[in-house]
Amino acid sequence: MSTNVQDIHEDHHHAPSGLMRWITTTNHKDIGSLYLWFSLLMFFIGGFMALIIRAELFEPGLQLVIPGFFNQMTTMHALIMIFGAVMPAFVGLANWQIPIMIGAPDMALPRLNNWSFWILPFAFTMLLSTLFFDSGGPAAGWTLYPPLSLQGGNSMPFVILSIHLLGISSILGAINVIATILNMRAPGMTLMKMPIFIWTWLITAFLLIAAMPVLAGAITMLLTDRFFGTSFFTASGGGDPVMFQHIFWFFGHPEVYILILPAFGIVSTIIPAFSRKKLFGYDSMVYATASIALLSFIVWAHHMFTVGMPLAGEIFFMLTTMLIAVPTGVKVFNWVATMWRGSMTFETPMLFALAFIILFTIGGFSGLMLAMTPADFQYHDTYFVVAHFHYVLVPGAVFAIIAAVYYWLPKWTGKMYSESLGKLHFWLTTVFVNVTFFPMHFVGLAGMPRRIPDYPVQFADFNAIASVGAFGFGLSQLLFVYILYNTLKKDVTAEDKVWDGAEGLEWTLSSPPPYHSFEKAPRVE
Amino acid sequence: MSNYKKTYITVSFIVVFMFFFSYMLVPLYDIFCEITGLNGKTNQERIVNLDEKPTNRFVTIKFTSTVAGAGPFDFEPLEREMVVEVGKVYTTSYILTNQSNSLKQVTASPSVVPGAEAEYFKKIECFCFTQQEINGLETKELPLQFIIDDKLSSDTKTLILSYTMFNTTDQLGVK
Ligand code: HEM
Ligand SMILES: [Cu+2]
Repeated sequence: MSTNVQDIHEDHHHAPSGLMRWITTTNHKDIGSLYLWFSLLMFFIGGFMALIIRAELFEPGLQLVIPGFFNQMTTMHALIMIFGAVMPAFVGLANWQIPIMIGAPDMALPRLNNWSFWILPFAFTMLLSTLFFDSGGPAAGWTLYPPLSLQGGNSMPFVILSIHLLGISSILGAINVIATILNMRAPGMTLMKMPIFIWTWLITAFLLIAAMPVLAGAITMLLTDRFFGTSFFTASGGGDPVMFQHIFWFFGHPEVYILILPAFGIVSTIIPAFSRKKLFGYDSMVYATASIALLSFIVWAHHMFTVGMPLAGEIFFMLTTMLIAVPTGVKVFNWVATMWRGSMTFETPMLFALAFIILFTIGGFSGLMLAMTPADFQYHDTYFVVAHFHYVLVPGAVFAIIAAVYYWLPKWTGKMYSESLGKLHFWLTTVFVNVTFFPMHFVGLAGMPRRIPDYPVQFADFNAIASVGAFGFGLSQLLFVYILYNTLKKDVTAEDKVWDGAEGLEWTLSSPPPYHSFEKAPRVE
Repeated sequence: MSNYKKTYITVSFIVVFMFFFSYMLVPLYDIFCEITGLNGKTNQERIVNLDEKPTNRFVTIKFTSTVAGAGPFDFEPLEREMVVEVGKVYTTSYILTNQSNSLKQVTASPSVVPGAEAEYFKKIECFCFTQQEINGLETKELPLQFIIDDKLSSDTKTLILSYTMFNTTDQLGVK
């Protein structure tokens, strides 16, 4: 502990200014802001790729891009949104919020924290640079299935190295979160008194340290298969490409919960604040989160029902997958019960949180349909799967992140955003998200395969609608940037306790909070 | 030991363990496939101590073939179908033609359907045990000798043996 305090004081006395401040910073708020800005940038880069995809799919036929480039876009879009937009946004929120919510001066490992952020720009520069190679970027899908991914161009080792870097960054971030939460809570804050956001992040961090190394192993095997003559996945050498899918999804399914558990924490924080009631069933929320995390390690093969598993395997993975709906249902029930007879108001963060509950649940339902093995034989690799994971990830994870930004922005900056613009942003976003992704259910059920640049004419109308929605959604996010700009140029006027129903230590600090959050630990009774 | 140290050690242990666990999944997967007979994998090495036990039970064996990727080969079974007696040794072969002008190295990988019965399809001699070389424009007969184990379930009337022929000439080179 003594070394940490020293680190912090060093900065305090001769903190560099300008660009060097950001490069050398070890302050949790600076690093949190870096993560959040970086994530916003990636959100727009990944979003731009999505618009290329939707522009091509606006009508049947090949008009804008060649199929090879289309495949690079679907692959890159997913990698960037998952590893560049959603995960860094959550880590940014963790950096900002964990110390001020548990009453700590900073994160446990400030230097490491600086590192885990600054790895990211390098990793993504490398990943994006592959698009300019003669042979183009990765095009085998974000899941990198061999044999296709082994047959790609020269981008492959660069992609693998950048994914390794991203993995290292998230593992370091997770270690920091765990060390901070387990050791730096204010006196009196027992585990079961922690804010629910802290709980969800603690569990997410454990998922990260357990799942990311498995991804690292899988892609290392790909690399050695391609360059060093091993045959983990090459059938000509006795390997098995299906095994890659098992290893990948053993990481992949916990990964999807990494993308949603912090969102659960955010929604569980915002709903009580604007319902002016305590969170209903705090303990059951904690247990539900933990059981979702544990179950997430035994359901992976629901992504590969169609590869040919024994009947017993199909049934096992079907039932365990459906079992996850139980703790998820507990959460939805608790959110609704929290609102029940509350004095609700509908500020922007609350609107996004409410939309989260409804739209995420739609994604959960399509997930349940996909979990039924026989049904999945029809739905697998169609746009129905695309609709499913976009419902859980966009109006799910992304809405929660936006809600969190609106909720804590006045605390971070001391400046209040424009409520009317925020509401406009909400309505535009919510309408367009549904216009974009709802029709994908229909074309998916009708059999339109995912990851293709062209399609038969019977899918034309719904695809045109989805493309219009996508452009509307993308443009609406420019409003978000304007709102942030508009807020940041205001004067500091926000109260310390921005929302009258909000609870937690962060609201006892000034807005914006002091450079070192809690110099003296507060007491929690 | 301070609490911090304990946290760091535990957490680092999990990270390292999970990395190696991903490699442990490889042998685990093979064991799992062997137990469940998934994948239709057959024996990779020749069976030596062999005794014929004719049973007067007959099954049909169908032979199929595939060339992986766009290999410059013609690869066909000599006989598409054989009716064999369980417990007796049979010999057949596949015919491979190299349609290119250059020497090629190839490997064949076998698979049996239904997968659960694959272990009872026992190969005594097979071109799939080793890498083969074939000159440009050469045609070769690749021999196969096998026996169906009498433990084959009595429900099984047909087995399909399929070979995929891989071009491994420049396996180590970057394509
Ligand atoms: C009730 C909960 C859920 C169930 C039952 C469920 C079930 C499924 C199933 C069975 C599939 C495979 C479909 C196929 O490929 O045929 C799938 C795909 C997917 N799910 Fe979920 N899911 C649930 C929640 C979530 C959540 C919370 C997320 C992320 C935040 C998520 C993200 C994904 C993604 C990204 C894919 C597609 C992966 C790919 O093939 O690229 N799911 N889900
Ligand atoms: Cu899954």
